[in-house]
Amino acid sequence: MNALELRNVTKRFTSAGTPAVDDISFTLADGEILALVGPSGCGKTTTLRLIAGLERPDHGSLHIKGRLVASPEYFTPPEKRGVGMVFQDHALFPHLTVFENVKFGLKGQPAAIARETTHSMLKLVGLEKFGERYPHQLSGGERQRVALARALAPRPVLVLMDEPFSSLDADLRHEVREQVRGILKAMSATAVFVTHDQEEALFMGDRLAVFQSGRLEQVGVPEDIFHDSATRFVAEFMGDSDFLPGVVKENGIETELGLIPQKVNLPVDSTVEIALRSDDVNFDQTQAPNALVLARFFRGAYYQYRLRLSSGKLIHAFKPHTKTIPPGTSVHAYLSAGHELTIFQNGVAVGE
Amino acid sequence: MQIQDTLPQLRRYYHISPRLLFAAGLVALFVAIPLAYIFFRAITGGEEVWIRLLQTRIWKLLGNTLLLAATVTGGAALIGVTMSFFTERTDLPGRRVFRWLLAMPLAIPPYIGGIVHLTLLRPRGGFIPQLLASWFGQPIPTPSPLGFGGAAFILTLFMFPYVYLLSGAAFRSLNASLEEASRTFGRSNWQTLWEVTLPALRPGITAGALLVALDVLAEYGTVALLRYETFSSAIFVQLSGRYDRSAAAVLSGVLIVIAVIILWGELRLQGQARFTQMDSQWRPAPPHQLKRWKIPAFLLVAFVVFASLLVPVLVLGVWSVQALLDSETLASIMRSGSQNFGNYVWNSLWASGLAAVIAVLLSLPVALLSVRYPNKLTQAISRFCQIGYAIPGVVIALSLVLMVNRYLPFLYATPLVVVMAYVLRHMPQAVRASESALNQLSPSMEEASRTLGRTSLQTIVQVILPLIVPGLLAGAGLVFLTSLKELPATLLLRPAGFDTLAVRVWIWASEGFYVQAAPAALLLVVASAAPLYFLLRREQIFR
Repeated sequence: MNALELRNVTKRFTSAGTPAVDDISFTLADGEILALVGPSGCGKTTTLRLIAGLERPDHGSLHIKGRLVASPEYFTPPEKRGVGMVFQDHALFPHLTVFENVKFGLKGQPAAIARETTHSMLKLVGLEKFGERYPHQLSGGERQRVALARALAPRPVLVLMDEPFSSLDADLRHEVREQVRGILKAMSATAVFVTHDQEEALFMGDRLAVFQSGRLEQVGVPEDIFHDSATRFVAEFMGDSDFLPGVVKENGIETELGLIPQKVNLPVDSTVEIALRSDDVNFDQTQAPNALVLARFFRGAYYQYRLRLSSGKLIHAFKPHTKTIPPGTSVHAYLSAGHELTIFQNGVAVGE
Repeated sequence: MQIQDTLPQLRRYYHISPRLLFAAGLVALFVAIPLAYIFFRAITGGEEVWIRLLQTRIWKLLGNTLLLAATVTGGAALIGVTMSFFTERTDLPGRRVFRWLLAMPLAIPPYIGGIVHLTLLRPRGGFIPQLLASWFGQPIPTPSPLGFGGAAFILTLFMFPYVYLLSGAAFRSLNASLEEASRTFGRSNWQTLWEVTLPALRPGITAGALLVALDVLAEYGTVALLRYETFSSAIFVQLSGRYDRSAAAVLSGVLIVIAVIILWGELRLQGQARFTQMDSQWRPAPPHQLKRWKIPAFLLVAFVVFASLLVPVLVLGVWSVQALLDSETLASIMRSGSQNFGNYVWNSLWASGLAAVIAVLLSLPVALLSVRYPNKLTQAISRFCQIGYAIPGVVIALSLVLMVNRYLPFLYATPLVVVMAYVLRHMPQAVRASESALNQLSPSMEEASRTLGRTSLQTIVQVILPLIVPGLLAGAGLVFLTSLKELPATLLLRPAGFDTLAVRVWIWASEGFYVQAAPAALLLVVASAAPLYFLLRREQIFR
């Protein structure tokens, strides 16, 4: 049975405007972590709130553990859904201690069991010594873990997290998200996680759901999302891709950087775009130049170069930092991917 | 700040709770009925009453009222902004102490200040004219505190703290970078003050000026004492002396229209302006160096404190000592008729306290609705419940007299009518306090409680209420403070023998027994100063 299933869910905030969430369907298996990712305003947070029961859908239905929880006619309020949520601002109750915060969701259980569960949750997140403190006495990372412990304590069928790391400093964020992923996996929790950070989504998610303008662009494992993007948007958002125009020929695709010997299932002379990442492009000065180095960015272990092709098209290329090439140098750019490139026509990926 | 950013998205909670809407609607109805009723009575007051009043009274009263309101508002704005400039933006010596002293006159009802200044300055028999006459051996002409000049002086003196506090908060919240930016664009200090600082303070100044203008419209004690006739005092006379309720209703109708026009004007002026903000980047602007203006500025601020705070408190203190030392005066203070001093204190405390509790309880559904489900309807309900600001005490009293007489005779001549008037008049303070407390509460608190298995009602009791208690107490404190000082509605609505401190002070003083009135007046001031102190402690500029 699926832990979560959304069928054609649509949500509008104004009756006339474009939907915040537009005809979304996906499923989530038990014990799986799904990352909802996309630029701000893409509908990912609204989707999460629809699952939590903090918003009502206008169309479609939501099922948790096979049970209908929301449709236009039927609505289970959040307190009856058995979901746990970690909020962006953590939303710890300032009038309660850490211990009382974690115990808050264990209402209805015998007091001794609730206390024991709270202790074991605090231990799980490494905060067993902090039970008597109040939220304002904790650091950002500690608060984050209390929020997680509070959401997990009632053993929810589903854990929802709304940009839970966005209030943390960059260093702390990496550390905490690794801990959180470990805790979720240790509890075999099923989780839906919202972020606008591609890298975080790739790290946290067993699968990713990429959103744009209220629509679901692609759902898949991180490798597919990254290497086999379904749409031009996914390739651009998830991987900082450049797009090189090309024309389909008998034996491959004709581009400004030469013929790419890759078959596509399109008629000859169709126009397409090829997604290129910086590691797919290289350049040297051994052949007749076809590009100009515009800028060089230091990236630590390597340099990223911005090149302008004769057509005016901008692409990027990585080079080791052992040798530097000054901007203004004319170079010969070529493809060095070593793997199949993703081809798009009208923004949608085309297969072989 | 983070909460602000995510507001529009988070606040679109699902359907408005019908129970909440019903409760808030009931509160709005409670406020609406007396108001609608007085309008109804004004319009149906009879053609001949309207014609008679239009021919005789209305224009004169209109002129008097508007002149006083405009003068006092202007004066209070000038003094208030000047004072807050000195305490917030200069190196004025003793500014930390002055900051408090300039706010404290709010604890002194203007009519008590008026009584003190009147006894000092009265042309015949006043303390100062007598002193001058004995020094010079002949009467020296001094400005009379009676009439327009006196009323404007007294009201300005005791109402400027509204502008002072709000403009002070605005001065404080201005970021140093605002003035620095102006300087980098080549403006001098002086040009910066006029072109950048003061315009940025406008919302604070306007809000303070609005409070002053509406308070002047509502003021009864001071204008009656100093014999300057305005709508409020004319309605009072019609109601208490001549028992001409139709005329009172007509005058009330006109007064409400003036108040509504002022409110509307403020809304238009203010618009969506929210100029001042304190974000994480905030740092205070460095104080201006007064240099050779230090002493004149100090004297000016000291004079304002002297006239608005020290004189009334000292005079009341001296009189109180006199009264307590004189056994005959003491006896008449302690007992008048069947009532003793303890009764006045108790009546004041329980009536104002009950009004505070009721007002806060009634404000809760209104605030919950308007903060959690902001839309046109809920905003309208919230605005409507704040209309008491614009309705003077005499008008509320008139409306309640008429309505209770006719529809709720069992309430007639009970202290509960007095409490009801306090609640109606001071609801706005409770609504605003509850709304601001709720606004500071992130909606994710409620959502977290819901996802942890609490119903909306359990969430209100277990999460929201514990977190907004300080804000609710502040609202209750404000209602208590202003109810304690309330005079005209208490005078008109109280049952025989129900004397509060304010009523006793007024009756004794209007009979000329100033010394006898002093202990009660002093106690009233002290009782008001205590909640005022705690309210001010919550304000940004007193931290």
